[in-house]
Amino acid sequence: MSAAALDRQIRPIYDALDTGSNKSAIVACNKLLKKYPKNDLIKALKALALVRSQKVEESLVLCDEVLESKPTNDGVLTAMMHVLRGLGRQKDMVAMFEDAFKQQPNNEELGTQTFFANVRATNWKAAQQIATKMHKQFQESRYLYWTVICVILQAKEPGTSSDMRSLLFRLAHRLLESSATPSYLSSERFCLHLTVLRELGMYEEAEKLLDGEIGKIICSASLVCNQIRRDIWKLQGRALDEGKLAESKILEKNRNWLEFLVVLDATFSYFTLENDPTDEDRTDCLDAVKKAEKLFSEVAEEDGFRDRSGHLALLELENRARKYAVSCDSNRLLALMQQYFGNFGDKACCYEDLKPYVALSGEEFEKWSVFLASVPTTFTTTEELRRLINALKLTRYTLSTSDITIEAESERAALYTKYYLAGLKLGLNLPSSELQPADDLAILTGNSYVLLWKISNNEIYLFRAISLLEFALIKSPQSFQSRLILIRLYRLLGAPSMALEHYRALRIKQIQHDTLSHLVLTRASTFSLSSTGDLTLASECLEATQIYLSNSQETGDYIVRAFTTEKYSQIPEFIYFEEQLENSLQRDMVKIEHLRMRLTHELISSDIIDMELIELKFIFDRTHHDNRDFQILPDYQPQGVETLNDQTLLFQKSSGNGWLATFLRLYIRILQQASDLDDAVEEKLLIGDRPKQNADPEKQLPLKDRLLIRHEVELAELTADELLLVDFAHALADWLESFHNYTRPPPHVVLAEAARQTELKTGHPLKGVEIPPADGFSNGNGKKNEEPPPIREPPELVVKYFSTMKSRLSEALDELSIAELLHLATLAQEAFLIFTIETLRFKPASVVKVNKLGSLVANFKNIKADALALLKEASAILLEISERFDVSGSRKAFMDACSQLTEIEEIGYEFVSSIGKKMYDSRKKVLEGVGKGITKLSTTYSA
Amino acid sequence: MSIVRPFSASDLFRFNNINLDIWTETYGIAFYFTYLSRWPDLCAVQEDPNGRLMGYVIGKAEGQGLEWHGHVTALTVAPEYRRLGLARKMMDFLELVSDDIYKAFFVDLYVRCANNIAIEMYERMGYSVYRRVKEYYGTLGVGKGGRDEEDAFDMRKPLSRDKDKRSIRENGRDFIVNAQSVS
Repeated sequence: MSAAALDRQIRPIYDALDTGSNKSAIVACNKLLKKYPKNDLIKALKALALVRSQKVEESLVLCDEVLESKPTNDGVLTAMMHVLRGLGRQKDMVAMFEDAFKQQPNNEELGTQTFFANVRATNWKAAQQIATKMHKQFQESRYLYWTVICVILQAKEPGTSSDMRSLLFRLAHRLLESSATPSYLSSERFCLHLTVLRELGMYEEAEKLLDGEIGKIICSASLVCNQIRRDIWKLQGRALDEGKLAESKILEKNRNWLEFLVVLDATFSYFTLENDPTDEDRTDCLDAVKKAEKLFSEVAEEDGFRDRSGHLALLELENRARKYAVSCDSNRLLALMQQYFGNFGDKACCYEDLKPYVALSGEEFEKWSVFLASVPTTFTTTEELRRLINALKLTRYTLSTSDITIEAESERAALYTKYYLAGLKLGLNLPSSELQPADDLAILTGNSYVLLWKISNNEIYLFRAISLLEFALIKSPQSFQSRLILIRLYRLLGAPSMALEHYRALRIKQIQHDTLSHLVLTRASTFSLSSTGDLTLASECLEATQIYLSNSQETGDYIVRAFTTEKYSQIPEFIYFEEQLENSLQRDMVKIEHLRMRLTHELISSDIIDMELIELKFIFDRTHHDNRDFQILPDYQPQGVETLNDQTLLFQKSSGNGWLATFLRLYIRILQQASDLDDAVEEKLLIGDRPKQNADPEKQLPLKDRLLIRHEVELAELTADELLLVDFAHALADWLESFHNYTRPPPHVVLAEAARQTELKTGHPLKGVEIPPADGFSNGNGKKNEEPPPIREPPELVVKYFSTMKSRLSEALDELSIAELLHLATLAQEAFLIFTIETLRFKPASVVKVNKLGSLVANFKNIKADALALLKEASAILLEISERFDVSGSRKAFMDACSQLTEIEEIGYEFVSSIGKKMYDSRKKVLEGVGKGITKLSTTYSA
Repeated sequence: MSIVRPFSASDLFRFNNINLDIWTETYGIAFYFTYLSRWPDLCAVQEDPNGRLMGYVIGKAEGQGLEWHGHVTALTVAPEYRRLGLARKMMDFLELVSDDIYKAFFVDLYVRCANNIAIEMYERMGYSVYRRVKEYYGTLGVGKGGRDEEDAFDMRKPLSRDKDKRSIRENGRDFIVNAQSVS
């Protein structure tokens, strides 16, 4: 058959793959493979369809066959590229393209693909060599620039020594000088050139480029180039030149604040850190201050209310002049602040603008306070309302500790509420999609109630806060700030389904999952009902994780594209972004939470144990980036107290790297003991590339040692009860370690079993695994030559754990909040599951007998009995409390707490009562669910 | 006061205070990176001196021959920084780059026909309606404002290269085209 006819037959396979019909693609491939059993393209396409239908083992066989034939055909290479990407085999992809390019060194397209394969695998050195070769061969100037950026990226890798670094930058410089065309033909190339000169400190050469006609034009329109120019001038000590340039730009009506900062920096550049200022310096500076003042005043006058730059620059100038003791008028700062408030007090940002300057004292502070207090409390226009709000926020920010008493703060909360209700009248006719101008007053009230809760430790203030903020959301459904506070408060109150409801209303999407899912997923296993089959929170975890998948699938494409479009400024940024998201702290904190939920939902088996172990070990090698956004919570607390974020953290603990590292160590250790996969087996069975070596010295220690590391700083991120769990788990593992090692079947037995399974599944033997001939031990239960380790009594930490928890539960019952109670109960449940995992290996009677572990296993009984007794009690307590919420008495407590609010006509009794009901229903649901789940798990694992 | 600086990929981690507002859509990584990998010089953010993002603009350059122009894809300001003239600063920036670097004939943007506040703002900046695009925002369905809710005005402002002002016309509101016929 002709090639055209074959083409026609292959087309439907592509169509099927494009539309995601992998099954029909496989069928079509099989049909064609009968006719053309040796055709690489069909094989590659079948491998792709198999990967996409999760049939990894079968795909591997085909994949390796095609790779062995060293393909050069474009269609085969493209299909294989997708297959190898799907399998995580970047290294093989690089090798495949390199082989192909070697066979056809004149094929420019192959060269480009080989270059990109290295880019995707972040092999900058190899990429550099290919680009060099391509530049020689094809004489395209862009390949020279590809070489340069690859050299720079090599220099910037964390493992590069500083000597090597400067060597590489000098190489980049030489390459640029060899270019046949000047870099200024494109602003991106120009920018790359400047970056190299900046790095090498070759300021004079940079100056030539920058002061040239074209250089000036490029910098005037390219923000990136201008940024580098600014850096270079600064490094060069040209603060005064820079100041003059900025001044001229400001005079040309440029209002970028950066230009104002430059003028300010230049004004005070007479003072250096190294030398004490001389009288001459002082006089020079004084002159400069006067000049700057003139400039800024003119700008302020010219712009009027249209632009804040000139006005704020005057404030900043005076503030700095005070710092350097060159201020001429001690009353000026206050006067400027008042003036600024007068001009811009009706803008929402006035509070943030003035915050840096309000650290006044003594008489000045008095005057400022009097000024703020004199702001009229009228509600006729939104401008007046905003002035009032700004005055209240600024006053609140500078409250002294003596002002923060329950009485005073209660008065403030009442006042904010009163103003809020009055302010609402201004937004009566707004459509529901608009924010209410008075919203910030509700948020101030919310802040105030939270502070009251913190100083009184009385839940009633949280009841009031949620009632008022829920009311504010009725009036202003789009106020995401009110929602953010509510999410935090509902979790504190042990009403997680309400928190989730508000979280979902925020319509978090895409990258926001990484920055904001902490709101509901931090320590989410406390509220998880997975044990009862309700997977709401577990699926929330999975949804939040989608973004990491798109990152690994898509971002690389754009890095490659930035090479094609020669946007060199973007390449390092894209790479950094990809890395930051790939190694996101939140990603792996969610992973741990999901694991904890999974263990309560699925039957614990060696499958789960092996899979989770492999995944956690990958994570353990990462250096994490904390991308979580905590700034988003609207914080209006006084400067002397904790921020709203800190105040509303669940269990008052901020968890991050330390928390994650501790839980990773715990679970890797437990799962590793329970698993039959030792490192040798894992190495054989794992497909895909291994993670890059981490430069952190602690991460280079043997895994066994790393699991035992304890850092006090890290443990400080744990609650007291989490710490108890960690100690319990490690004591248990210490105790059982030698017995696991003794009982675990040897690697060749595990591999033989894996090979048998693979062959059953795919019909092919497992590649790279050689099974030694049977030696009589291969059934895993064979008698051993050595004696079992001596049996030891269980350590005290293990024996006492469950009884300690039991007394903690009964003693502290009345002092604990609902959330804390759930925390305790779920941790006790987790300890029981950890115990189950650790003892799973010793369950079959035959294993115990063969390994002579009878007296060890006898110890398990008592521990388990204690655990079951505790769980029974915990479950009973949770259920009992949940029933309390049916009784009108507890609901009355809510209404009593909110009596001030129910008396307000606009809010009313009905509304507050409905909020109370929702909160109690939510509490009841979680208490009941967790309680019943504990019973269920106890039954499942009691035998 | 605000700092104008290039939009950086990492700003995606920090734009929640802008994007949680309902009028601003959060897209997938591909959306932002498509723009940054082709027109990074037409994307900028404004931030306050404490590093808090205030707003951003995302734009592109496209069109054949006399239609070669700068386009504003997204322009947004966080609620607390509105009414400070930030949008104007970002438009000035985009016009400057479209004119100086891309040598475009005009800049254009789409706005909901019902959004009178925005239309007036753009008119003050020198933009005028060039045509009405039917069902441009069709996915949202017809709301209270009827057709004006789902139709868009394509508004344009000529740049220095368009000496004869051929990119604009007097009675643009009367020219109606389908959403399919525009890019």
